[in-house]
Amino acid sequence: MKISLSWLRDYLRTDKPAAEIARILTDAGLEVGAIESTGVAIPKVVAAQILESVQHPNADRLSVCKVDDGSGTPRQIVCGAKNYKVGDKVPLAQPGAVMPGDFKIKVGKLRGVESEGMMCSSKELGLGEGADGLLILPPETTVGTPLSELFPAEEVFEIEITPNRPDWLGHLGVAREAAAFGCGELKASEPDLPAIKEDSSVAAITAPAAASFYSIRRIDGVKVGPSPEWLRKRLESVGLRSINNIVDVTNFVMFETAQPLHAFDAAKIEGALTVRFANDGECFTALDGREHKLSANDPVIADAKGAQALAGITGGAASGVSESTTSVLLESAVFTPTVIRRASRALGISTDSSYRFERGVDAQGALAASARAAALIAQLAGGSASVDLVIAGAVPAPRVIALRGDRVRSLLGISIDDTAIASLLAKLGIKEVSGGFEIPAWRNDLTREVDLIEEVARLHGIGNIVSTLQGIPAHSSEADRAYDFARALRRRLSGGGFHEARSGTLTGSRDQASYAPGDSGGVVAVRNPMGEEHSTLRASLIPGLLDAVSRNLRHGADSIRLFEIGKVYRQEQPEESTRLGLVITGRTALENWRGESERSVDLFDLKGVLARLGNPLDPITFRSTTHASLPLALEILIGGKPAGILGVLSPAATREVMVGGHQGQIVVAELDLAALQASSGTGFSKDPKSFGAIPKFPAVRRDLALLLDAATPYSLIEQTAQATKEELLSGITPFDIFSDPEGVKVPIGKKSLAVALTFQHSDRTLTTEEVNEAVARIVTRLRETAGAEIRG
Amino acid sequence: METQIEQLRVEALSAIAEASDALALKEARVRYLGKTGSVSLLSEGMKNLSKEERPVMGKLLNELRTAVTAALDEKEGALTAVADAAALASIDTSLPGTAPESGSLHPLTLLVDRAVQIFRRLGFAIADGPDIETEWHCFDALNTPADHPARNEQDTFYLPDGRLLRTHTSSIQIRTMVANPPPIRIIAPGAAYRRDEVDATHLAQFTQMEGLYVAPGVSLADLKGTIEFFFRELFGPGTEIRFRPHFFPFTEPSYEIDLRTEALGGKWMELAGCGMVDPAVFEEVNKQRGDNAYDPEKVSGFAFGFGLDRLAMNLTGISDIRMLTENDLRFLSRFTA
Repeated sequence: MKISLSWLRDYLRTDKPAAEIARILTDAGLEVGAIESTGVAIPKVVAAQILESVQHPNADRLSVCKVDDGSGTPRQIVCGAKNYKVGDKVPLAQPGAVMPGDFKIKVGKLRGVESEGMMCSSKELGLGEGADGLLILPPETTVGTPLSELFPAEEVFEIEITPNRPDWLGHLGVAREAAAFGCGELKASEPDLPAIKEDSSVAAITAPAAASFYSIRRIDGVKVGPSPEWLRKRLESVGLRSINNIVDVTNFVMFETAQPLHAFDAAKIEGALTVRFANDGECFTALDGREHKLSANDPVIADAKGAQALAGITGGAASGVSESTTSVLLESAVFTPTVIRRASRALGISTDSSYRFERGVDAQGALAASARAAALIAQLAGGSASVDLVIAGAVPAPRVIALRGDRVRSLLGISIDDTAIASLLAKLGIKEVSGGFEIPAWRNDLTREVDLIEEVARLHGIGNIVSTLQGIPAHSSEADRAYDFARALRRRLSGGGFHEARSGTLTGSRDQASYAPGDSGGVVAVRNPMGEEHSTLRASLIPGLLDAVSRNLRHGADSIRLFEIGKVYRQEQPEESTRLGLVITGRTALENWRGESERSVDLFDLKGVLARLGNPLDPITFRSTTHASLPLALEILIGGKPAGILGVLSPAATREVMVGGHQGQIVVAELDLAALQASSGTGFSKDPKSFGAIPKFPAVRRDLALLLDAATPYSLIEQTAQATKEELLSGITPFDIFSDPEGVKVPIGKKSLAVALTFQHSDRTLTTEEVNEAVARIVTRLRETAGAEIRG
Repeated sequence: METQIEQLRVEALSAIAEASDALALKEARVRYLGKTGSVSLLSEGMKNLSKEERPVMGKLLNELRTAVTAALDEKEGALTAVADAAALASIDTSLPGTAPESGSLHPLTLLVDRAVQIFRRLGFAIADGPDIETEWHCFDALNTPADHPARNEQDTFYLPDGRLLRTHTSSIQIRTMVANPPPIRIIAPGAAYRRDEVDATHLAQFTQMEGLYVAPGVSLADLKGTIEFFFRELFGPGTEIRFRPHFFPFTEPSYEIDLRTEALGGKWMELAGCGMVDPAVFEEVNKQRGDNAYDPEKVSGFAFGFGLDRLAMNLTGISDIRMLTENDLRFLSRFTA
């Protein structure tokens, strides 16, 4: 909303500069976003007449002019423009003038010829883009007149008006607020209200849902013509175009009072003007010539022939004021905000008028605006207004709201007595009466006690409220525990070399299902997405992580370890769940000077990371599975239950992610965070086996080299060894595995597996004999169950 | 014999002194102290001595053995020290250190965590709620009528079933109050969504932090104190905080909060909205609860909310907010945990 400062000063007596007024308004809740300056406020720029112009001796594109700036002595000016002729009057910046951009005008030589100033274009004066070349002033301009008189400086505030304050949508309302907040004094001018009468042959409401008040005033003998200069300037300052004196007055009064008005050509209206809803399919041609097919939700002003205006939104082409108009019917009404909003949206028409009706106007204001406009029309178009204002509907009585001083004091946390409260509210025209406070008609937003408390808070100023601080103990909530678990996990992963990613929740539908947990029950789509790429709520974190991998590979990364903790969505319950996603690719470590051999990551690098995330007492386990997108896939089991997936991307999918010749595997994993949290211990578990006394007696290690069928999984060896239930066996670790395609070191179809067996007893040192016996029993079982042979 | 002892002493000590490495020293030890070494051989001669001479010579021999042993040990220590020093001297300590690669935490995570830890100092607990919300939780209960502009399809993402992606974390206020009687003192970090065209300064999904405190006697002064405490803890005691009256449907009075601090470039920055919970919100909650636990005559409260993305952008010095979701390692690796 544009508020012109000079217009504001019509209602506000103030000597404060623009910046100070802007600050006060902002503190009152009218946020001034920008102060726009128009016109010329540069001293030493005057109107001058070009007396002669000759070619510059040293420059083809320049000319040398003699100009009269009213000082009596012609000045010599070098000029590059071509759009003038001798005798034209143009702006001249004299030496000493400071142009926009802090450009100082001085006497100086241009290509060897002295120039005593600069003739200006409108752009150079800050008057906008304009045409190229010098600004040619009207011939009647007096030489020597300062440009600041010809183009008076004007400051315009761009104000963000909150939807609760429609009264600020006019200069008068802003002036009232500025005065209340100490910006100056309100220049009160109560218009003379005409007598009112009801006459349903002139104005009627048959749709009370659409309007609570409707008024028509007839003005005869008007002469439609251009508006005077002051009126055109006012309208231009807030971005409106002048149309004719009648229409301009209605717009002017709207930007003054925030009450929209409409003028019908009385000759085009037959019978009463009636507020009703349109008939379904009723046709209407708006002022701008566009045709609309209306519905029964659209409010119209109709006469005997049909709809003549879309109520509160726009007038009709058939009954608009034109040059031939001699009598007008001036409408001033209160339409229902929700009705106007719905119709405006349905028809796709938003106007200054609909904007204000949507936010709300009041009947008292409508009366005053009608009187103000009638007087202006009489003044500018020579008409005579009818004595009576014909109304339909009602002017409501003023509202009185009770306000408890104690309530003010406790809610705001201030000590203020009732008298001080009343005098604060009085600044806004809110008068104390018996039973409470009487609300001015223009403050529709004040309906409850708390609304008045807010006004007290604004006027008292939050800067004058002494801050207090309370603390109360709070038990940790479930959300606190989930937050802390995720926080610790994040720190663990980042400490382990993973970088945390955050991807958008809204993604393309492609690929979403392919990594989602098996029972996802379908992805959740948005009804009104911003394009296909953001149409679906992610069902898995993996696609987002793969996007990140692809982007980082393009940027030259050669070792990528990313994780993300975030929500995924599906159609079945639970609809939202938080998961941990991980992806690794590239080299295992950064290059360094040791020259240690580097290798590319594989499945086991991520399997190892995952295994360590679990509770040591109830470790994460894995089970091989099949997965549509992961040819090498393991199901992640937490507490024995499926909780996620780990796998290697298919070569085809890998190629899609990897661009520019990168090679190697992409390993991904995703698991349910709640399951992981549920299985995690407190860190102080008392399991005697894992967390009992530190062993006092040494362990004994025995290595076994086993020859196995190539297809025998390691897990069979580990399970078989553990199945012996050897009391002394405390651990089994594989430490070497190889096969030989040549069949030399190991026969073809076989593999060699070296495992270390650890034996320990908590109460004594072991003897060689008992360890040997235990190893022999284990070897026997391995031979029988897993077909293992002992090598060497 | 006495002469022999003395001669051997001189010879041995000189040999030891001249040994230049561990091997030479070992040879000297064998030569003089070994089973067939010079000292031992000389000791053999003891049996030929008279009864009177034996203790004297024995004593001299012992002294010889002790002196040679001491010289050997001393020399050995010296040689070891030289060798140790040589071994360390060959290390080029100017080479860079090596360690497993370290990871990083996302700047938004770091920021959320700073905020959470500050509010925890004040006794706020965390609350959460779903991203997919009902219109009632997101709008109706927050005193935002059905025809409010924020509710139209231009601004809000809807699902086919009429639910929506929450446009603010304020819906968590409602969920918390419906589920728990007062007092309530919560913060809620989370995602919110608006149908904004994504560009350098806008995302369609953003990260917010919501706060709510409801108890008997909570005042605007408490709200002011809490907000000031938070931002001064976050940005330092010199942080300037300005409250501008504003309008939100669910609080009254309502304010926008501007901040000026060196950490944010020394310019005023609009950062947050806050206010006293509107009684209409309590009434809606009561209706849903089926009791009068949130009687506006008995309890009052304040609420606040702020976006973290713009803040993270400012604190990390990036000019494009999309950096926050692009997961570029060159950016992320700056935030080592």
